[in-house]
Amino acid sequence: MVDATLSAPFDAAAARAARKYFIGRVGIYAFLSLFAFIYILPLFVVVANSFRPLPEIIQNGLIGFPHSLTFGAWSQVWNSYCVGGTCEGIRHNFFNSLEMTIPATIISTLLGLMNGYILSKWRFYGSEVIFTCMMFGVFMPGQVSLMPWAFVLGQLGLANSITGLVLIHCVQGLSFTTLFCRNYYVNIPDDLIKAARIDGAGFWRIFYKIILPLSPPILIVTVIWQFTGIWNEYLFGVVFTAGRGQPITASLVGMATGGTNVRVYDVMSAGVLIGAIPPLLIYLFGGRYFVRGLTQGAIK
Amino acid sequence: MRNRGYLTAIAGLMSLGLMAGGALAEPKTNMLHQWDSGSDAAAIAKLGEMFTAAGGKWEQTSIAGHTANTLAKLRADVIAGNAPPAVQLKGPEIAEWNATGMTADLDAQAKEEGWEKVVVPELLPVMKPTGKWVAAPMNIHRINWLWGATKGMTKAGITELPKTWAEFNADCDKAVAAKVICLAHFSQDWTDATTFEVVVYGQNIDLFRKAFVEGDTAAMRSPDMVKAFEQYRLMVSKYMDPAIAGRDYDTTTAMLSKGDAAFMIMGDWEIGILTAAGMKQGADYVCQQAPTDWGKPGFILNSDSVVFFKQKDPDFIAGQKLLAHLILSPEFQTVFNQAKGSIPARLDVDLSKGFNPCQQLSKKDLQASIAGGTLVRSMAHNMTVLQKYRGAMMEVITTFVNTPNMSPKDAANAMADAVEAQKS
Amino acid sequence: MTEATILAEHGSGPSLRERLQHAMPFIVLAPSLLASFIYVFVFTIWTFYISLSDSSLLPTYHFVGFEHYVSIWANKRWTIAYSNLLLYSVLYVSLAILIGLGLAIAIDQRVRGEAIWRTIFLYPLAVSFAVTGTVWAWLYSPNAGIEFFVRSLGWTDFTFRLTTDRNLAIYAVIATGIWQSSGFAMALFLAGLRSVDPDLLKAAQIDGAGPFRTYRKVIIPTIAPIFIAVAVVLLQFAIRTFDLVAALTNNGGPGIATTFPATYVYDLMFQRGQIAEGATAAILMLGALAFVLVPYSLWLVWRRRRESAHG
Repeated sequence: MVDATLSAPFDAAAARAARKYFIGRVGIYAFLSLFAFIYILPLFVVVANSFRPLPEIIQNGLIGFPHSLTFGAWSQVWNSYCVGGTCEGIRHNFFNSLEMTIPATIISTLLGLMNGYILSKWRFYGSEVIFTCMMFGVFMPGQVSLMPWAFVLGQLGLANSITGLVLIHCVQGLSFTTLFCRNYYVNIPDDLIKAARIDGAGFWRIFYKIILPLSPPILIVTVIWQFTGIWNEYLFGVVFTAGRGQPITASLVGMATGGTNVRVYDVMSAGVLIGAIPPLLIYLFGGRYFVRGLTQGAIK
Repeated sequence: MRNRGYLTAIAGLMSLGLMAGGALAEPKTNMLHQWDSGSDAAAIAKLGEMFTAAGGKWEQTSIAGHTANTLAKLRADVIAGNAPPAVQLKGPEIAEWNATGMTADLDAQAKEEGWEKVVVPELLPVMKPTGKWVAAPMNIHRINWLWGATKGMTKAGITELPKTWAEFNADCDKAVAAKVICLAHFSQDWTDATTFEVVVYGQNIDLFRKAFVEGDTAAMRSPDMVKAFEQYRLMVSKYMDPAIAGRDYDTTTAMLSKGDAAFMIMGDWEIGILTAAGMKQGADYVCQQAPTDWGKPGFILNSDSVVFFKQKDPDFIAGQKLLAHLILSPEFQTVFNQAKGSIPARLDVDLSKGFNPCQQLSKKDLQASIAGGTLVRSMAHNMTVLQKYRGAMMEVITTFVNTPNMSPKDAANAMADAVEAQKS
Repeated sequence: MTEATILAEHGSGPSLRERLQHAMPFIVLAPSLLASFIYVFVFTIWTFYISLSDSSLLPTYHFVGFEHYVSIWANKRWTIAYSNLLLYSVLYVSLAILIGLGLAIAIDQRVRGEAIWRTIFLYPLAVSFAVTGTVWAWLYSPNAGIEFFVRSLGWTDFTFRLTTDRNLAIYAVIATGIWQSSGFAMALFLAGLRSVDPDLLKAAQIDGAGPFRTYRKVIIPTIAPIFIAVAVVLLQFAIRTFDLVAALTNNGGPGIATTFPATYVYDLMFQRGQIAEGATAAILMLGALAFVLVPYSLWLVWRRRRESAHG
């Protein structure tokens, strides 16, 4: 009896709390699911259309499950679709993009590491000013630098080459990588460096022994940021290379805006996916570290 | 006719022989153009094949996307100090680049090969901006075409294509009553401007010349221009469907093939598009000059051409000569234009074989309009005024199409204002 | 300051080796410095000079003064571009932050499959604006996209025509931009939420604050710097909007309704051969960027000073 009278209001409160908790949970999952649906819809459409025959897409619209599967669009866009004045698909462009993105990412990241190290640990009179000036490079609109770059590349004999694009992306990326790395290294205690100096360690030794082992989080951030940024850039690709020599983003835009031709949704979809796979893979595997590294360094 | 073709071929071979003898250089070229993909790319590939077959080393630089990208590339190359040996340029841009002094002079070759006698006269001021040949014309596109889809026309009870704007409006009223979209259209700046220039031309050819060829802003403000905008408003609000913005070219064509729409106003490349959609001339679609109120054959002309930049390398110079020669050759003009829907820039090419009846009609109307003095160049396709004026006019036209409450009078004034703002 | 003392302690008898050691940071920094200097200053000054010249088809160096800076404001397309940018920046940044924060808080409630949710919301960031624009243009298309699909389900009056209505098209651009970037905001906020000191949360719990109050009074104020960082990054994306519009609304359609400053610059400089006017617009864009960035940099410096003063 006593137990019952005591536990009754308690049960009611618990039930109310449980119900509230349950409703809250449902609300959270509903909210997440709604947004997840919107986020996934475009991906679903592209993946599905890359396997659907073109007549089916045109008849049933772009949103729909494949009624019959075909891999034709994939082989066509890779091997034989006419783009960039040749009919050899976009495979050359895909490899161009790798040839451009990998060296540019590595070089700009390495330079960024060194610059960040110097500007945070070897500060000298005016280094703050230099840092602020370099930061402006992060925000230069591409259109401003288009014609000066044309002149510079022409003088260096790098016009119309992937090497020219590598140079552009290195210089442009420098500001980003320096910014990220410097802000990250600032958080490494100066005492560590001081102790090493007293032990007689020099510039490079400190870098290898102290800075580099602490760098993986920021390394991942800069690599991901640079890789996706360079891979996805299209204005410079269009203007400074052409046809078979273009990076893939430029040739995809060409396919999408191609004048008076019939729109080939299936081939486009396969092309878009091929063009998006490398950065997607990088995000898939590095995403977790990206978020972690970003909060540790770049945004402070 | 056959004999004559044979003779031209011989003449071509001879002049080739002359060139090969004249210079020991090995002709090579690299042509910058925007025919990046699909059938355009296939058409330009023919030029490459002919160039290679004539012993040249063919390279091309095709630029994807908007025309701005091609021009950006050209500027980038010029600034970088390696101007392309050959580049696809048109209309007033030829004169602009000619004025920089960087374009090669083709006068000697033109004289030798007699271009002046065979090329359509209206093209001469464009190809020879300062009296000297600097560009080689590849084709002539006709802009003022009215395409009729037999399915849609039958549904609407229209038996033949309208000849005047009054007839056009009457036919469209029939179509609207039968719940058929009268005019298939998709709204982009160039398509809106194309249709509008066809309306202006059909109503008042003098107005077209003053406003669109000479860029006279008083003509743009005139009551006649307001009248043209009134007709356009009627077409946009009543004869087109509301979904014109954001539609693409293919969907528009599908409206014709499915019988949802009766007419379309578009240049002659529509032939290729309709053929690709599985429609046959005569059975599924018919063509006729777009309506005019002055009862004569008329022709709005657009032409693609190639300009050559001065080079130091003798191989490139030899390549430029060979390329110019090939572009003007009847053989190239035939294959290229059969693929593109346009007609040869030379008047002496026979169209009786391998050309579509609409193309043959195009040629006939071209000659009649030269004789009748009704031939004009297209503003919408960048054959008349400078790009900055054209851009300003097109902005107003496309804004008019997409703004239901913009009055014809406001549009006419806005167009004149926009052009005047560019002049100051 | 500390570094300077280190250097001073060390330098007693400068041998060549030591001098080299001393100069090493400068030697390593020099190439980057030179490149950045050229890239940031020389290129900008060159563009600025071009904006003061009468360049048309190609750059020339005939000085005409600031006339383009006056005449640009009479151009309707520029004023449309400019007001589009204002509207876009405000809505894009604030809604991306709002949605990103919402998603981050939801994921932070110990949901199942956290990694999957996070990946779903983050993947658009890996996709270029050009591809994003192309694919969303398909979805917005009344003839093949969402409207077509819903109608085929039987709801035949359904209309969804963002990109075809000149008054709504800008919202299509905004929505698509948010789709691409809100994951970025989510990621940063999520990491921020995780870094909040657990003691603070416990204190709030002991005070009897509910979850809503805890977020409002405790958590969000502590992650305030993240708001500013996200806003600045998104703002500079907004000002550079170009690829997205090129692909989504065919370079600023319908009509000129979705023109952006970057589109305008590119069009003038390259399509129309009005290089001086284009350069003018580009410099004004840089001005807009400086308007955002200079206060941000000052704030950063101020914060750093304050931190070092306290610690």
